[in-house]
Amino acid sequence: MIRNCAMAGLLFALILLAATPASPGRDAYERANALFAAGKFPEALAAADEALRLDPKLVPALTLKAKLAMAGSRYDVARQCLERALEIDPRAAYAQFLYGLVAYLGNDLEAALPRFRKARQLSPADPRAAVYLGLTVESLGDPAQAMSLYEEAVRLERSAGEVHAETLLPGARLLLLLGRLDESERWIRQAVKASPNSRDVHFELARVLLKKGDAEQAAAQGELALTLSDGTVADAAIHYLLIRAWQQNGRPDRAAMHADIMRAQETPANSGAKR
Amino acid sequence: MAYHKGVPPRLIAVVLICGGVAGPSPTSPQIRFEEIAAKAGLQFVLRNGAAGQFHQIELTGGGVAALDYNNDGCTDIFFTNGAAIPSLRKTGPEFSNRLYRNNCDLTFTDVTDEAGLAGEGYSTGVAVGDFDNDGFADIFVTGVNGNHLYRNLGNGRFADITARAGVGGTDPKFGTMWAVSAGWLDYDNDGWLDLFVSNYVVWDADTEPRCGTPERQFYCHPKSYRALPCQLFHNNHDGTFTDVSQSSGIGRHIGKGMGIAFADMDGDGLTDIFVANDSVRNVLFHNQGDGTFKEIGLEAGVALRDDGFAIAGMGSDFRDFDNDGKPDLVVSGIFYDSFQLFRNLGGGRGFDDYALRAGLTLGTRQLTGWSLGMYDFDNDGWKDLFFALSHLAQVDGYMGIDSALANRVFRNLGGKCFEDVSAKAGPDFQRAAMHRGVAFADFDNDGRIDAVVSVVNGPAKLFHNITGGASHWLAIRLRGRRANRQGLGAVVHVHLPDGRDLYNHATTAVGYACSSEALVRFGLGANRIAERIEIRWPGGGTRQLANVAADRIVDVDEEAKP
Repeated sequence: MIRNCAMAGLLFALILLAATPASPGRDAYERANALFAAGKFPEALAAADEALRLDPKLVPALTLKAKLAMAGSRYDVARQCLERALEIDPRAAYAQFLYGLVAYLGNDLEAALPRFRKARQLSPADPRAAVYLGLTVESLGDPAQAMSLYEEAVRLERSAGEVHAETLLPGARLLLLLGRLDESERWIRQAVKASPNSRDVHFELARVLLKKGDAEQAAAQGELALTLSDGTVADAAIHYLLIRAWQQNGRPDRAAMHADIMRAQETPANSGAKR
Repeated sequence: MAYHKGVPPRLIAVVLICGGVAGPSPTSPQIRFEEIAAKAGLQFVLRNGAAGQFHQIELTGGGVAALDYNNDGCTDIFFTNGAAIPSLRKTGPEFSNRLYRNNCDLTFTDVTDEAGLAGEGYSTGVAVGDFDNDGFADIFVTGVNGNHLYRNLGNGRFADITARAGVGGTDPKFGTMWAVSAGWLDYDNDGWLDLFVSNYVVWDADTEPRCGTPERQFYCHPKSYRALPCQLFHNNHDGTFTDVSQSSGIGRHIGKGMGIAFADMDGDGLTDIFVANDSVRNVLFHNQGDGTFKEIGLEAGVALRDDGFAIAGMGSDFRDFDNDGKPDLVVSGIFYDSFQLFRNLGGGRGFDDYALRAGLTLGTRQLTGWSLGMYDFDNDGWKDLFFALSHLAQVDGYMGIDSALANRVFRNLGGKCFEDVSAKAGPDFQRAAMHRGVAFADFDNDGRIDAVVSVVNGPAKLFHNITGGASHWLAIRLRGRRANRQGLGAVVHVHLPDGRDLYNHATTAVGYACSSEALVRFGLGANRIAERIEIRWPGGGTRQLANVAADRIVDVDEEAKP
């Protein structure tokens, strides 16, 4: 399996090398890519535009421009770029995946579904396509299919040698919803190993522990999550969990402290204006 | 709905959560409804004034009330209605609010004009209560551009006394507020009903944001609008009210108020208030007994979903689903929120997020719920759940699914979990529509709770409960003396010969923007009598009845000799 993946990776690199050297926009694209990786989005956009001026059919530049547009919440621009990219190269798997992601993030699940399916078909070894197809079918009410896609994504990453927390968490959350708390905890503990500094994984661990009745450990994991900055879970969500965890621990003082923090962050009543 | 190896997902959920032992017993009757609105002469269409502009106000109407306005013992129906947009005026009869008198034969007559209840403005919700203790149920109508209080004159007519009463909804700080739900409660136990109003967001047709793309416009998320506080009006016992929103503490909390529900959550004899908010956290106002309320939604564990997410809270009901004597909370939300069920732990320990264990999390994840109610539809002694459902209009383009939905009924399996029994609730129950409000009452006095449902731009539905079986029932009609006339807030405890204890309380504030009958109902299962009934009146008095025969409405007077 590892050999297969290595072969696939080599093949992909060869395809990229074969596709890009001939393009007059290649240098600009590579500069844009480097600027994107450095978080210099306006500069990256300018470079991507320069690449596309030199070669309007440069699919990686179109894809990068779409990513930049998504970062700026310009999903309309992203969609146009990706549609052009896929028109030029219908087998561009990453463009197809992003095309699905644009629809998914716009809550257009009906459009996202075939795009992620296509992305998966074009790149069966890509765990991202499996995860997002899973998220889409889960949203559309098929938890069983979603779960098997999450399992497949984890299997793909494991085959590639590294399982990411982001890949484990959707499955862990669904297992929790299904009431399979032990399995959920197992998945989350793997995620903790993969990303020990992620507040998201510690928050999820706290959630499942609280559901299992281990309020003490839930509180400990919640407090740990609050100290971490890496992740997307909002402070308010963690405070809310800690209110319940500390109450169940018989520590209403700690619970009240977290409630006070949440209230202090809420909009005060006198901030509204007469219309 | 996709099936896994031929098994419906919601069935999988029930088996997973309830361990495969929670199915209805072989003798349990199937909850069934027939839809009889047309046959009953109930020809109401809720007009929301939508004309392709995606105004937020189009989403929030649909208030329905079940009330006996003429005290003939048969429950009548009142519907709120929309108005033209942007004028917010009822420019024609198609926008009239409507009152239908029950002819006591399960047919209804439109008596709107003679009652003087056509209304004005863009109406949303309704709350029914006898605020002046004259024995006739009065009607409060919430709206986008003003609220109205209609006093029941006792002769089939109502008088709009809003201005004199001082409950029009205008706030010194926020101006005229868009109100969605309202409810009557006696928060200070002085024997007079006070008024609570949930307000939604600041809205103005001229400045309303536009969302989506030019070619694919859609309703904006509530986050695009500024939130508003709720209001509390104290009854001055003379037909007027004092706005005590600030002094009570209610007005200090900003939300996007939708459904409201009342109950004495901690047994201290004082009515507490829950407000389901749309996309911001829910609030729970604990009654301090001194005219003030303390907001404890966070500490009580009812503010958010268990992952910290603020769902689009819609309807709510505050009743005891597990017969432990402590009122629990159910809250509906939109697609992918999952509806919430909070189990009251008692003893100041707050509430437990119980939806997952009850089988409601996955079972409601694909639904968008508006009004709802927790009633015992099969009279087995366990309160079931009824949800009026429909996605937001135009969602079909995004989800690949129809915005119209069939309603759902979930059967309570012994206070442990709920089973979606909608598929077997009869062919009429499977019909999808843009359902919104629902009010509950026994319209034909057969002991089975019926449901009247409003439908956006479609004919209203009357779901007549035709559940079979031989389960017995009791309904308590309260007559307060020191307490408010309808006994709203009274807690009733029934002890059955089979050893079970059942609990319920008097409230008309049920669901979303709706008002249900004031009677306190109990399904008794196979028991032909209630061995003991104890009524705890608001204000502290108690009344006990013994060996009460089943299958009837029992009138209980607060001061009558036993």
